[in-house]
Amino acid sequence: MIDGWDGDDETATGGFLPLYILVNGRTTPRNSSLDLATQVIAIAADVRRLEPEYLQILDRCKDWISIAEIGAYLHTPLTIVKVMVDVLLEQGYLDSGSPAQQKVIDPGLLGAVLAGLERL
Amino acid sequence: MKRTSVKIVVAGGFGTGKTTLVGSVSEIAPLTTEELLTEAGVGVDDVTGVESKTTTTVALDFGRITISPDVVLYLFGTPGQDRFWFMWDELAQGAIGAIVLVDTRRLDTSFAAVDYFERRRIPFVAAVNRFFGECPYTEDEIRGALELGADVPLVWLDARDRSSSKAALVALVRHAMSRLPLPSAL
Repeated sequence: MIDGWDGDDETATGGFLPLYILVNGRTTPRNSSLDLATQVIAIAADVRRLEPEYLQILDRCKDWISIAEIGAYLHTPLTIVKVMVDVLLEQGYLDSGSPAQQKVIDPGLLGAVLAGLERL
Repeated sequence: MKRTSVKIVVAGGFGTGKTTLVGSVSEIAPLTTEELLTEAGVGVDDVTGVESKTTTTVALDFGRITISPDVVLYLFGTPGQDRFWFMWDELAQGAIGAIVLVDTRRLDTSFAAVDYFERRRIPFVAAVNRFFGECPYTEDEIRGALELGADVPLVWLDARDRSSSKAALVALVRHAMSRLPLPSAL
């Protein structure tokens, strides 16, 4: 909980601050290729200026992790996680892997998935 | 190679075993994430309790399989209620394909999923979950009832069983590969 905030804002969605403040009113990520399976990883950076909610995300990103997993662990709706991750990507705190939707017709990738599944 | 995510959607009506299937093959216990039913509550100007007034949350269960150091497969179960179609679009976009679970006691609960993937030409396999006991129908009868195209694979599985669920995933990826355009057509 943020000091000095007495509002009834700890909602079922898990947000501490009103969500629109955290994301500066954005409702969609600028990088529209971000999807819930996209993985991100923290880049070493000075994080002192970041809000605690952003730090919580970065703490989860020490190894590659998907937007869906961040949302699940932090109990934050995907829409919010996407926009916040987008802000962190834009400001150089995170790096992202290839989103799922760009690779669907890559035979090499499908072959790798098939081989991986058969090894299970 | 850059870190790459791939998705497979696990669809079917309420109670057909979607989360069971995800859990039987996932390397992590299935996680639940939430999406807001509308985005209206995120950007509005009213400060007081906006979220609780204008949004509903939809729960999504998912799991993960590490394919290689560079490739991670996510398995997403569709929300049980049909009214959450908007989530299906996000799940299906860019997915390798879908497994449509079929409960032979309630074939009708799988119609919507079959129709959804047919219309969008997304590769899918129909997977009859044997968990519910002896199947009273033949494969042809199920195909007929679900109006499955001749090229759509139909597999039998027990969603609780890892190797059985794995076989369904393998069938789907093979099917998706068979539908790729030939290199010369790209």
